[in-house]
Amino acid sequence: MSAPDPRPLVTSLYRRGVALELHTIDLCFLAALAVHAERGGVASFQEDQLFDIFEQVLALTKETAPGGAKKRASSVVRRLREQKLLVRVDGAGVMRSGEYALTRLATGIVSFYLEDEALTRESLDVLAGTLTACLEGVAAAARTADSDEVWRTQVIGPLRLTIFELAGGIERRQRGLDLQQEAFQREIAALLATDWFGAVERCTKLLDTTSAMLHELNEMLLRHTHRFGELLVEVLERAADVDQPEAERAARDAIEQLERVGAWGAARQRAWSDYHEWVHRYLRDVVRLDPSRTIVHRLREQLAGRGGKHYALTIASAPAFRLLRAPVEVAPQPPVRSPKKEREQKLDVVASSDPDAELRASISGAIAAGARSLAAVTARVCPPDADVDTRFKAAGRVAQLVSAMASVSATLERPWGAAGEGILVEEWSIRDEEISS
Amino acid sequence: MNDANADARFATLEDVIRDDAFPELDMALRRGRHVDRDDVVWYALLVDAQDHLEPLYRRYGCELVHKSDGYFYLLPTDDRLGRRHLSPPEMLVGQAMALLYLDPAAVETGGVVTREHVLGHLAGVVGSDALVQMMNPKRRRHDERAAAETVRQAVAGALRRLAGLGFVEGIDDSRYRLRPSLLRFAEPLRGSGSPAARLAELARAGEIVVEEEGPGSDHGSGEGELTDEPVDDASSVAEPDDDAKAGDDEMIP
Repeated sequence: MSAPDPRPLVTSLYRRGVALELHTIDLCFLAALAVHAERGGVASFQEDQLFDIFEQVLALTKETAPGGAKKRASSVVRRLREQKLLVRVDGAGVMRSGEYALTRLATGIVSFYLEDEALTRESLDVLAGTLTACLEGVAAAARTADSDEVWRTQVIGPLRLTIFELAGGIERRQRGLDLQQEAFQREIAALLATDWFGAVERCTKLLDTTSAMLHELNEMLLRHTHRFGELLVEVLERAADVDQPEAERAARDAIEQLERVGAWGAARQRAWSDYHEWVHRYLRDVVRLDPSRTIVHRLREQLAGRGGKHYALTIASAPAFRLLRAPVEVAPQPPVRSPKKEREQKLDVVASSDPDAELRASISGAIAAGARSLAAVTARVCPPDADVDTRFKAAGRVAQLVSAMASVSATLERPWGAAGEGILVEEWSIRDEEISS
Repeated sequence: MNDANADARFATLEDVIRDDAFPELDMALRRGRHVDRDDVVWYALLVDAQDHLEPLYRRYGCELVHKSDGYFYLLPTDDRLGRRHLSPPEMLVGQAMALLYLDPAAVETGGVVTREHVLGHLAGVVGSDALVQMMNPKRRRHDERAAAETVRQAVAGALRRLAGLGFVEGIDDSRYRLRPSLLRFAEPLRGSGSPAARLAELARAGEIVVEEEGPGSDHGSGEGELTDEPVDDASSVAEPDDDAKAGDDEMIP
């Protein structure tokens, strides 16, 4: 499955104001529900069961409930429902008390705290074996698939679901092992802090065990991912041959996911190898050479100014070679002079034009030439080669000026007359009187 | 040579000089670089060619020192090649880093520290006021904000120069990996005898120079002012851009 674009996802989450706020008691309650569900094989809980379990949690955690356990349970259930961790599944509304189930989000959170899902040799062997068998089945189906239906059910479906889930299982355990490694690093530091010289043996053992495990896991991952790659490339090529783009995409996504799984092993082994080397050196150079931590004490005193005279280390500092460059002749700069020419250019005299006066003159000319209606004047005045928009704007201005310059009359009906192509104006009559300019 | 394999690798000094890695290594050593096992190629070359290189550098007035902590450096015994002493800010930061290197907490991060961590550590051990005074020795009155900025800049500059000398490795702008050569800062404090006697012994060997007064006394800002002998001007003050300038000049044959 190709990863979605993070931008719309992030903005959408932000816009929706998605947030989780869980107290320890909420998490304990969720964990208790998950364990009860698993042990009793139940998919949902009646309200009474919820309250019973919550009371048990209160008793175990010694938490107080000032308003009573039931009141606090109601508050916790409401909060969990608001955050989509608990969902009512009976649909009975107010008819009877509800029935509730944990959501996928709740089981995910609980499983993070409950399950110790670090990648081990055994879990990797089982998951990788199942994945190989599944991929062999997919490759066999791809070889013989002869219809879209077969491609969809026997190739694309398994690639999208089974392979995705199995590879996801390995990735989840890889993250678990990452957490475990962080814990190892903290443990080594804590061992040294509490028992400086005595911790060397235990630290060395812890380091060597983890290194051996990572090495083994990396080798297994390399071997398996090579086989996964072979099978997926076969599916990819077959899908390309018979023009099944959806199957090609599914195979490519699976290849990407499995490459990620394989790359994890190499990256972690490399990182751990650096760490392993550094800590070994530390144990050898620092811990063994300063078993009583005298140097640390003296250095601290020295830094704080209580350790006697200050000193400075001598270091080699050979001067850099000097590069003698050929002199570059620079042309002399021209002397600075003030300009003698006029800075401002003389202005040209240009006769100003008044478009309104021109239009008035045109209107007078048109009326003098015998035009006796607004449509006739407009048709004569508006330039026939101009586009409709220009003529439309000009027609409005002509109507305004004609009414101001001459005496016009209109009938009650006010018919429309054509004033050139595409322009209609009200038919006003212009009286044969003197025209004001 | 130290063993039969080394003999096999470099029969003569000419073989060493002809090695592809030698020119870079030689220039780095002459500029005060400390070479440890993390410099895989250089360290292997030095281990294998140690018997040839020791007499070579002795002729230039230097000792090629190989410490049991696993690092090499060139120690000038006279001024033929050029030498300098680390400035008070460099010493202060170097000693703080050495303390961090010895701290078990460094194990958790694999020896990686941030600049803020170093500053916090320094302020914790030395005290904020004393630190400001040490980094601003010429000023009697401090503007708090400006003084703090000066401290940050001085520490950043010292870290950059110490990284150039191979005491730490710069991972990015603010993270550094501690290297074994930091133990050189603690060298006068090692051993079961008195530190004063050890200090005098190292001063006689030319490894350190002992300051008569503390760095907080009027010694200037301390960029290479601890010299007990005349030191070449060009090499005594390590400015941040020195490396770049030196890099330009290396282009001559």
